[in-house]
Order: sequence, then structure tokens, then C-alpha cells
Amino acid sequence: MDAARSHERRSWYAVVARVPGLAALAIIIAFLLWAHFASGISVFHSDVSSEPGWQKFRSDHGVGYFGEDGQFVRAVQNGYNLFFHTYKYASRFTRKSAVDGANACASCHTVEDLAYSFVNSDRFDPKLGARASFEDRVRRCYAGSLDGFVPTVYEPAVRDIRLLARAIAHHLQLGEGALRKEN
Amino acid sequence: MPQLAGKLARIALLLLALGSLYLVALHKHAQRDEIRKAAVTLTPDCTEKLGRYGLAPGKKYASSYVAERAGASVELRGYSEEDVRAIQRGCNIIDDSQGALAKDPWLERWNAKRFIRGNHVSCDHCHRGIGDLQDASGNRLPGSNSLAASWTMGDMYDRFTGLLLPYEMRQMQCYINSSNGYKPNLADDVIRDVTAYSRFLSAALDLKIANHYEEQGIDEIPASATLKQGDDYIRGEALYSEKCQGCHGLQGVGLEVDGKLVAPAVAGPNSWNLQSRNNFYFVSTILAGFICRNMPPGQENSLQHQDCRDIAFYISNLPRPAGDRQGPLAALRQQLLMAVMPPLLRLSASGKAPVQPPLDHASARSSQHLPVDNGQ
Repeated sequence: MDAARSHERRSWYAVVARVPGLAALAIIIAFLLWAHFASGISVFHSDVSSEPGWQKFRSDHGVGYFGEDGQFVRAVQNGYNLFFHTYKYASRFTRKSAVDGANACASCHTVEDLAYSFVNSDRFDPKLGARASFEDRVRRCYAGSLDGFVPTVYEPAVRDIRLLARAIAHHLQLGEGALRKEN
Repeated sequence: MPQLAGKLARIALLLLALGSLYLVALHKHAQRDEIRKAAVTLTPDCTEKLGRYGLAPGKKYASSYVAERAGASVELRGYSEEDVRAIQRGCNIIDDSQGALAKDPWLERWNAKRFIRGNHVSCDHCHRGIGDLQDASGNRLPGSNSLAASWTMGDMYDRFTGLLLPYEMRQMQCYINSSNGYKPNLADDVIRDVTAYSRFLSAALDLKIANHYEEQGIDEIPASATLKQGDDYIRGEALYSEKCQGCHGLQGVGLEVDGKLVAPAVAGPNSWNLQSRNNFYFVSTILAGFICRNMPPGQENSLQHQDCRDIAFYISNLPRPAGDRQGPLAALRQQLLMAVMPPLLRLSASGKAPVQPPLDHASARSSQHLPVDNGQ
């Protein structure tokens, strides 16, 4: 009888001993589920938030050439979000908020401007006294026009703007040094 | 009181050290600025290439290549003097990365050699025709690893790194793996000037952004493009002895005559490392494609697909440096193999029939710099 009771107690202890481990596992699983499905934090999910107008933009500008979905297309979509909703998607690099005027790249530029700027970048700028890359210009926009801070050159907030420009340049069939007709 | 004096002295010393570093940085910055402003002496091939494309400072640029081939001139944004010099230096880097033809390697190509291990590798060895290989009629050759086409297709997803790979980072990888060297900073002039040159080439050839061009990359040879006899080390060794060893040497260590490079190493310490895409075990299709398209000089496209895969397989089994992510043990193993294998093989080969004699110096030099009709 004692032996049976002792065995039962040991089983119970074994279950109790596992509780912290099981609890930790449950917390991790819960965190992962929350992070991916409910947090809304972009770093936890590989999808890009779809802003209004993206689907039309995508079809109007031939983004489908690069595939229905893919790393490049998602980066272009993020570029679209950054370009039209900069205050929301690059809030780390601008002091502008939703209620401010000129709070997005699109407040000053069109995507066509962006594409032409891309194919004419890496050129000497007499004002700067140096050759300026496309990324240099984007970073200057964040710091200057958007009254914010300078991202690193590796930052997706810079990279995805360049990828958007690249996609639009393809759509317009621009080559290196292409000039706008009005020029 | 003496304690306070000691503290002040230490602070003063620290400030002095920091101030000295700042002065050195200012000096280096000024030096770089001077180099950017200095006139560039081009290599003979770059003089020819850039001259043919009509590179000159001006408000507008119209490519003579496009005008000649399309019969119509396309007017593009011109280049400032600073831009022209950057393009010229970029061309020099590609054509003669080691600076063998340079009077002042810093002035003419930012001493690109400092990012390369060994004295063999030059960008032009893989990106032939200074990154723009053409036949005698000026047709761009498919699978010729064109830098211009590569620029237009930059930023695409790269399965090897898992990144949307910018053109500049791709160059970094070339330095690290294909040159078995060191990583330049993304904003280093050595990278930016090659980008400027590649962009100029794409303007001169009138390539459009993100369009596919046949000259981009290497036309790779997968096993499915062969009779599937299996990649054979022994067959590869025999073919290598017959077709390649005369120039590239026993164990693929390359050939130098009078201190001048005749044929670059394809194995050993001067060659690409195990993480280069040229390594058959990493990507089995690229080196084979390159061999079929470019080798042997003067007999390009003469080898069968299977021959190229066999040779590539054999070459990739020769000892070469470990990649930078493979750790110290792999590095040590490869170093030992590179030290031990060549003398052993020389010893065992001494009893065998002599290999094909090396090319004479003049033809070897031309083999290094574009043996095929390149339209230059």
C-alpha cells in the first residue's frame, strides 16, 4: 500500500517538476503566435502591410513583371509604403507625423521622379562637391525635408526606396542617364 | 597633488592620442580628395574601350556604339570631369586589379590590390573584355559575365546570401571569395568607381534597368546539359593535363614568367577560395560554363559540356584557401594541403610524360587579356 502511494507521489512530483518547463514552452508558443498574428510589429511577419492603392499601383506600374510575390516584390511594396506613408513606415527617421504637411516622400516627388533620379544618380553634385549616390540623396531627404535623422545605407528605409525606384525605372524602360523629355 | 597631476597627464595623453587620430583621418581624407581630382592614366585596353564608347566630359552623352548599331543617337545625361575620372579608375580596377600596369596604383585604381590576397587575381579574369566581352563585329557575347548587364539586374534576390543583393555588396563578395581577399567598405572608392564604370557601360550599350540580357552572368552548364555520364575526377585530370596545365601549371597554381603573370592560378593560395561561386562543390554549374565559353584561349567553345564539368570538378578538388566563414580548422587543413600537395605531385609527376609546354610569352599575354575576338 505504502509502495503504491509512494509511486503515486513520485509520479505527481514528476508532473510538478515539469511545470516550469511546460510553462516556459507555453509562453514561447504564445509569444510566437502573438508576434506573428496579433502584434502588428512588422519585424515578426514577412508580409508587408498593404496600404490602400497598392494593388492599383502595382498593376499600373507593372510590378507584376517581378513576380506575383517574392522578396523583391515585397521590398517594392515596402518602398511604396515608405514613399507614400513615410511618417508611418519610417517614423524612426522623421519627426513628421500624420498631421504635419509634407510628411511623405510623395509630398514632394512622384515615383517617376524617383526612377529618373535613380538612373541619374552616382554623379558629381557641384553643391556637395562630391559624387552623390541615390542612397545619399534619400538619406539627405530624411534628415532635411523630413526633418529627421540619417539612416544607415543598409537600412530598409533606404534600400526599399531604391528598389521601388528600380521597379519604376524598369516599367518606364529607363536606362542609365535617361533624360526626361521636358529636359 | 601628485595624484591630480597624474590624472591630468593621463587625460592629456588620451586627448593627444585622439587628436592625432583625428589629424591622421583629416590627412587621409585630403589625400583621397587629391586622388579624386588627379588625372587618370588608363591601361591600354581601357583607353581603347572608353575611347570607342566616346567617354568625355560634357552635358550630354550619346554612345557611339548605339549610334553605330541602331543608326540613331540616344541622348543621355553627360558626365562631369569628376564622373569621368571615377569611370576611368573603375575601368583600370577591372582591367588590372593588381596594378601591374600602373605607375601609381593608388592614383590610378585606389590600390585595389590591398583587398586581394596573392598576386594573380584580376576582375578581368572572370569579367572578360573588361566586363564587356564582344566579338569582332561588336556583338555582346551571351554568358560573358557582363558588368553592364549585371548592374541593370542589381538588387535582385540572391539565393546564396538570402539577400536582395545590391551591386556594391556583390563586388564585396568578389573581393572576399573570388579574390580570397578582404572586404572593402561599401562606400569605399574602390567599390564606387567600379559601380560608376559598370553604369557607364550600361549607358554606352543602352541597357534598360532590370531587363534580362543574355550577356549577364555565365551560361551555366548543369548536369542535365550533358549525357549524364557523371562528373569524373580522373577524366577531368586527364583533360586538365592535356588542355590546361600548359598555362595554369601542375596543381593549377598559375604561371609567372619574369615576375609577370602569364596565366592566373585556378587553385592554390593565389586562387579563389572554397566559398567562391567558382568552386564546383558550392555551385557546380558556373566554372564549367566559364571554361566552355572561354577556354582554352584560341579554341573557345571547343570543349564538350561534359569535358568542362569534368575539368571544373578536378580543379575544385585541388587544394585552395578556405572561405572566411569556414573557421580556423578548415583554414589550417587547406593551408596544409596547399603546402604539401604540389611538391608531392611534382615528385610523382617527374616520372610521367612531360606536360604540354607553356605558351610563349606574347601569346600568353594576349590570352590573359582577351584572346577571343572582342571587338576591340
